[in-house]
Amino acid sequence: MTEIRNEARGNAFFLDLSAALRQRGDLLQRLSAVATLIALVIAFSMVNGTFLSTNNAMTILLQTAAIGLLGIGMTVVIITGGIDLSVGSVLALAGVTAGLLVKAGLPVSIGFAGGLIVGTLCGLVNGLVVTKLKIAPFIATLGMMLIARGIALQITGASPVSGLGDEFGRLGNGALFRIIAMQPNGFPRVVFAGIPYPAILLIVVAVAIAYLLHRRTTGRHVYAVGSNEEAARLSGVAVDRTKLFAYALSGFMAGLAGIVLMSRLVTAQPSEGVMSELDAIAAAVIGGASLMGGVGTISGTMIGAFIIGILRNGLNMGGVSAFIQQIVIGFVVIGAVWVDQLRHRKGS
Amino acid sequence: MTETRSPLVEMRDISKHFGGIQAVRDVSLDLYPGEVVGILGHNGAGKSCLMRVLSGAMAPSAGEIFVDGAKVAFTNPLDARHCGIETIYQTLALADHLDAPANLFLGRELKTRFGNLDDRRMAAEAKTVLKRLNPNFTNHTAPVASMSGGQRQVIAIARAIYFDVKILIMDEPTAALGPSETEMVAELITKLRAEGIGIFLVCHDMHDVFRLCDRVVVMNNGRKVGQHRIEEVTKDDVLSLIIRGELPADWTARNAA
Ligand SMILES: Nc1ncnc2c1ncn2[C@@H]1O[C@H](COP(=O)(O)OP(=O)(O)OP(=O)(O)O)[C@@H](O)[C@H]1O
Ligand SMILES: [Mg+2]
Repeated sequence: MTEIRNEARGNAFFLDLSAALRQRGDLLQRLSAVATLIALVIAFSMVNGTFLSTNNAMTILLQTAAIGLLGIGMTVVIITGGIDLSVGSVLALAGVTAGLLVKAGLPVSIGFAGGLIVGTLCGLVNGLVVTKLKIAPFIATLGMMLIARGIALQITGASPVSGLGDEFGRLGNGALFRIIAMQPNGFPRVVFAGIPYPAILLIVVAVAIAYLLHRRTTGRHVYAVGSNEEAARLSGVAVDRTKLFAYALSGFMAGLAGIVLMSRLVTAQPSEGVMSELDAIAAAVIGGASLMGGVGTISGTMIGAFIIGILRNGLNMGGVSAFIQQIVIGFVVIGAVWVDQLRHRKGS
Repeated sequence: MTETRSPLVEMRDISKHFGGIQAVRDVSLDLYPGEVVGILGHNGAGKSCLMRVLSGAMAPSAGEIFVDGAKVAFTNPLDARHCGIETIYQTLALADHLDAPANLFLGRELKTRFGNLDDRRMAAEAKTVLKRLNPNFTNHTAPVASMSGGQRQVIAIARAIYFDVKILIMDEPTAALGPSETEMVAELITKLRAEGIGIFLVCHDMHDVFRLCDRVVVMNNGRKVGQHRIEEVTKDDVLSLIIRGELPADWTARNAA
């Protein structure tokens, strides 16, 4: 009798141990991503002294903001087992909508709200096509990718909308805690560039969505749907509503990224964001999200977004051409997924 | 006699077809409180389909369901749960990437005052109920994908009995269990039955059927081919029903003889 109990305790010990090891596996993956990030920073700062400057750090934050925002929405969709190919186009349509509304004389806040609404509506349509028409997410959002881009080009006559005023550019170009000193010669000198609004926005949104995914029922259901849709349905999860939420959120994020980018340029560009859906997917996948669904985190995607952002920035500063950058990022995506798979193969 | 009480569940003339495939044909069934009814039949006989109709997972093509005498129409599994019907699915219906507590409470999460997930309380509750079913169950924080078939089955069982259950559907609940765990489930069935819960037990193990069930219903190619009190039949009679769809030619109720 005691023997049996001891054996049970032994089993329990091993089970605890294996659970601990598995968690360490996840930790290792996260650490390897962070290590990649740090290695990149060190490598680039050795090549170029100004890479590590505060100002460049802020530039990176700014450049990463758009990928990060898109990546957050994309991550939620990917966790449900879907994909959203339309975010680049929706970004353009939302930004252009905001631009045209402001051009028509409406206040900037209304213009931005309009852009966000259009983005969310595009996402909702994606969700409805996926859940009600039962069309595969890849096809549904591919359709929306063409439709949204087409509308953006059509309503602007394919030309940029400019002359939108300083107010329009505030969100993309402004910063918190910016310190400007007046020099004796009468010209202002920027002492501290400040924290760009887009970076603050990214952090706030990332924290909010991470909270939603891990502490709220909706988030739990997002994972459940991607993990086993039938099981989720049988357990009473509103599967369609959960998916609808994910696509609408992704559309909203694309809208947010759109107004941030257009505000940064102080121009509404209908051709903005081409192929940025691929950056967003890459960020999520580098961060450990699985296209099979059920797996992914916001923190991982943030690391992924920064890896892409830093690569772009560092290669730019190093004078590497945009073509070579694409090649490098392509290798990074494949490498990241390969490492992830190795880990899983070892784990099982 | 149980027949003088009113049935917990009554299914009348249930049919289910998928295109040309007739999975369930005009099956009528009832279940009384504190009764275990075994559902038997060859593979593909329609047992799971019939059970899924009752659990709200599948809409019947025809037929009516009454719970406590009132007609019901389930459009989803939540409707059935609200009537006190809990189901252990043959497929277990677990979300592989979530841990045991998350699966146990999936769709019915415990929340804090602020509407946040109360993971601590869910973990504690899950621990208690899982321990009752299997004292060796300790890896509560691992995703269920990494668990053994038996452990997964224990989670599915725990999920069905944790909540207020009046009618329990068990679709091959011991298929992946070892001998001691199967014994545990047998004890559980006996205990739930004593509490007045009605149980549909889909099972291929004759030994278990004969020691646990009060009645057996046999299906063959979607039809109900027999319904007997367990004392009336022998294992050979039941096997004959399952395989050939009819009783031996010279059959008379065994307990009458
Ligand atoms: N979703 C479905 N779509 C089409 N046909 C189905 C579906 N589900 C079940 N069937 C068919 O209905 C019939 C009955 O299946 P069911 O799962 O009820 O059998 P079962 O009696 O539970 O068998 P087993 O003992 O193997 O579990 C089978 O012929 C099966 O192929
Ligand atoms: Mg079955």
